[in-house]
Amino acid sequence: MALYLGIDVGSITAKMVVIDEGDGVLAEVYLRNNGRPLETIQQGLEILSSRLGEKASIDGVATTGSARHLAAYLVGADLIKNEITAHSIAVIDLFPEAKTIFEIGGQDSKVIVLRAGVVVDFAMNTVCAAGTGSFLDQQAARLGISIEEFGRLAMQAKHPVRVAGRCTVFAETDMIHKQQIGHSVEDIVGGLCDSLVNNYLNNVCRGKELLSPIVFQGGVAANGGIRKALEKELETDLIIPKHFGLMGAIGAAKLVKRVKPVRTQFKGFELSRKSCSTRGFECSECENQCEVVELLVDREVVACWGDLCEKYRKSSGLITG
Amino acid sequence: MKVTFPHLGTMHIFCKAIAETAQIPYVVPPETSRKTLTLGALHSNESICLPFKIILGNFIEALQLGADTIVMVGSGPPCRLGLYDLVQKVILEDMGLRYRWLTIPPRLTWQAIWKNYEETKELKKELSWKNILLFPYGLRMGWKKMMACEALEKLAMKVRPREVQKGETQKRLKKALSGVDEARTLRMLDETLQRGTALLQETEQDFSRAPLKIAIVGELYTVMDPHINRGVEQKLGELGAEVTRTSWFSTHILRSLRKNKADQTSERIRFFEASKAYLGYDVGAECNLSIGEAIVRSQDGYDGVVHLMPFACMPETTASGILTRVGKDWDIPILTLILDEQEIEGRIQTLLEAFVEMLQWKRKAA
Repeated sequence: MALYLGIDVGSITAKMVVIDEGDGVLAEVYLRNNGRPLETIQQGLEILSSRLGEKASIDGVATTGSARHLAAYLVGADLIKNEITAHSIAVIDLFPEAKTIFEIGGQDSKVIVLRAGVVVDFAMNTVCAAGTGSFLDQQAARLGISIEEFGRLAMQAKHPVRVAGRCTVFAETDMIHKQQIGHSVEDIVGGLCDSLVNNYLNNVCRGKELLSPIVFQGGVAANGGIRKALEKELETDLIIPKHFGLMGAIGAAKLVKRVKPVRTQFKGFELSRKSCSTRGFECSECENQCEVVELLVDREVVACWGDLCEKYRKSSGLITG
Repeated sequence: MKVTFPHLGTMHIFCKAIAETAQIPYVVPPETSRKTLTLGALHSNESICLPFKIILGNFIEALQLGADTIVMVGSGPPCRLGLYDLVQKVILEDMGLRYRWLTIPPRLTWQAIWKNYEETKELKKELSWKNILLFPYGLRMGWKKMMACEALEKLAMKVRPREVQKGETQKRLKKALSGVDEARTLRMLDETLQRGTALLQETEQDFSRAPLKIAIVGELYTVMDPHINRGVEQKLGELGAEVTRTSWFSTHILRSLRKNKADQTSERIRFFEASKAYLGYDVGAECNLSIGEAIVRSQDGYDGVVHLMPFACMPETTASGILTRVGKDWDIPILTLILDEQEIEGRIQTLLEAFVEMLQWKRKAA
C-alpha cells in the first residue's frame, strides 16, 4: 500500500500526517516548534515511524507552511506547495460544497473563497499579525492559563468587555486597563475574542463575499471563544473539520499523492537519529550582504540558501556550473 | 562638487550617465541593502512609507561616501511622497550632513533647474564651461541609456515565463544592464544594447507554453524598484506569468515634461477615463490609474492584476478598497500586496504562488 507524508511547518507548530491511497489518515503528529523547527521535524518523524512501524515506507513527501523550504531541504521533499493551495485542496475533497475557508494559525490568518470547488479569491494578512494564534498564546501566558483553558473561559463570558483589536499592542493595554478596574477574567478574555474576530473580518476578509458553508480550520479553530465569536458575528454555524489543525499537512499529502513520484526524495525516518543543525552568517563580500544559511546533517552541508551569487552553494558542490 | 541621486530601479544607470558624460563628478549610492533600509528607517518618521525610507537611506549612504549635491525629483501634493524632498532635506540637515539639494520640479523642463533656482546659480560658479557645454550631450546619453534599460527589462519580462532554466533570464538581464552601464559613447551603447538583446533572446525557452498575463499596477516607486517590491516582477515571471507594467521612468519623465508620445498619453488617458466609473475626481498620484488600468486589463483579456502599495500610502489605500469592487464587477482577480519594512519575502512568495495557481485553475475552467 502506498503511503504519502505531508508536512506543514508553521510559525508555532509543526504538523505531519501520513495518508494512504484512500486518503485515510494513518498517523498524525501535532507539535509545538518552540522556535526549533529542525528538531521538531526530527521528533515528528520519530513519532510517525513508531506509530507506523519499522517497515512502513513512504512513496512521496510534500511540505507546506512558512518553513516549507527548510523542511523540504531537511527531509527531501518531492513537492513544495504554498499553504493557501494546500489548505484549499484538503477542504475541497472533504467538503465539496464549502464556499469559504477561514484559516487562522500562529502568525497567519487567511480567508479563501471557493466557488464550485475552485479557489476564486483569497487574502492573507501581510504586514500585521494582529489577531492570530500567537497573540492569544501570549495573553494566555500572561494570565497564567493554558491556551485550552483560554477558549473555555471565553465561552463563559457573560458580558464581554470592549477591547480595541486593531493593534495587539493596544489591545493588551486595553485588557490590562479592564483588569485593573475589576472586570472578570472571563469577560476580558471573551472581549478579546470578539475584538480579534472583528479585526479578522474587517481586515483580512474585507471586501470578500463570505457565503456559507464556511469551514474554519487552523490551530485557532480549537479555541471555542473565537469560534463562538465568529458564529455570532456572521450569524451562521461554522464547520470545524475533524483534523482542523492538520488540514495543511493533509492537503500537502494529497497533492503529492496526485503527483505520484516515481522515486521519492525522502531521506527516511532514520533522519530523526542524525544530527541536524543550521549555520547562518552574513556574507560581507559585496553590498548585498546576504544572510546565508547552511543546513548540516551529520556535519555535512546538505543544503544552502540565501546567497544571491550562489557562491556558497557552488563551493559546497550543491550546484555545478 | 559631487552629485548623487536615488538608487531606484535602473535610475542610477542613467543618472550616472548624465553626470559622467558631462564630466561632473558623481557618487552612485551603494545598491539598496538591508543597511540602506536600516539607516533610512532609523532617521525617518515611523509611519512614513517604505519608498521614503529607502530613498533617504540611499542619500545617507551616498553622503557618507563623499557626495555633496543631491538631485531629487519633487512631484508635489497630494501624495505625501511628492513633498518628501522637503522632509528629507530637513532630516539630513538635522543629522548634521552638509550638502546641496536640487529638486527637479515636476511640471517644468530640465532647463528650469539651470535657470530658476538659487542653488543652480551657485552651482554655475562651480561648473566649468566644459560641463555646461557637455550637459546636453549628457542628457542625451542618459535618456538613451534609460530607454535601453527599459527595452531590456521589457524583453526580460517576455522571456522569463518561457525560460527552461529558472533564473537564467535574470542572470542575463543583470549582465545586459551592466553592459549598458559601462558603455561610454552612443555607438558603444547601441552595440551593447544589441548584444544584450541577443543575450536575452538566446535564453533557452519553451515556446509551447502559454503564460498567464498579469499586469502590475500601483504606487510608482514600489512598482519600479525591485528592492522595494522584493522582486515581485521577477517572482511572477519565474512562476510562469508574462508581466506588464506601465510605470517606467520614461513614462513619468515624459509626463512631467508634457511631452508624452501619443500612445503613452492615450494609454494613461484610457486608464483615467476607465476609472471615472468609480471615482468622480482625481485622487492623486497613481490612484485613478491603478483602478483604471485594472479595468482596461480585464477588457484586454489579462488573467489577473497585482496591485502594489507601500503600507500607509494614501492614494493606493483608496485604490485598494475600490479594486475589490473592480475585481468583482469585471471578473478579474486582483491581488493587493502591502509592502513595509518587515522581511516578508516568504509571505510574498506564498501569496504570488497561490495567486498564480488560482489564475491557472480559472483559465482551465474557462
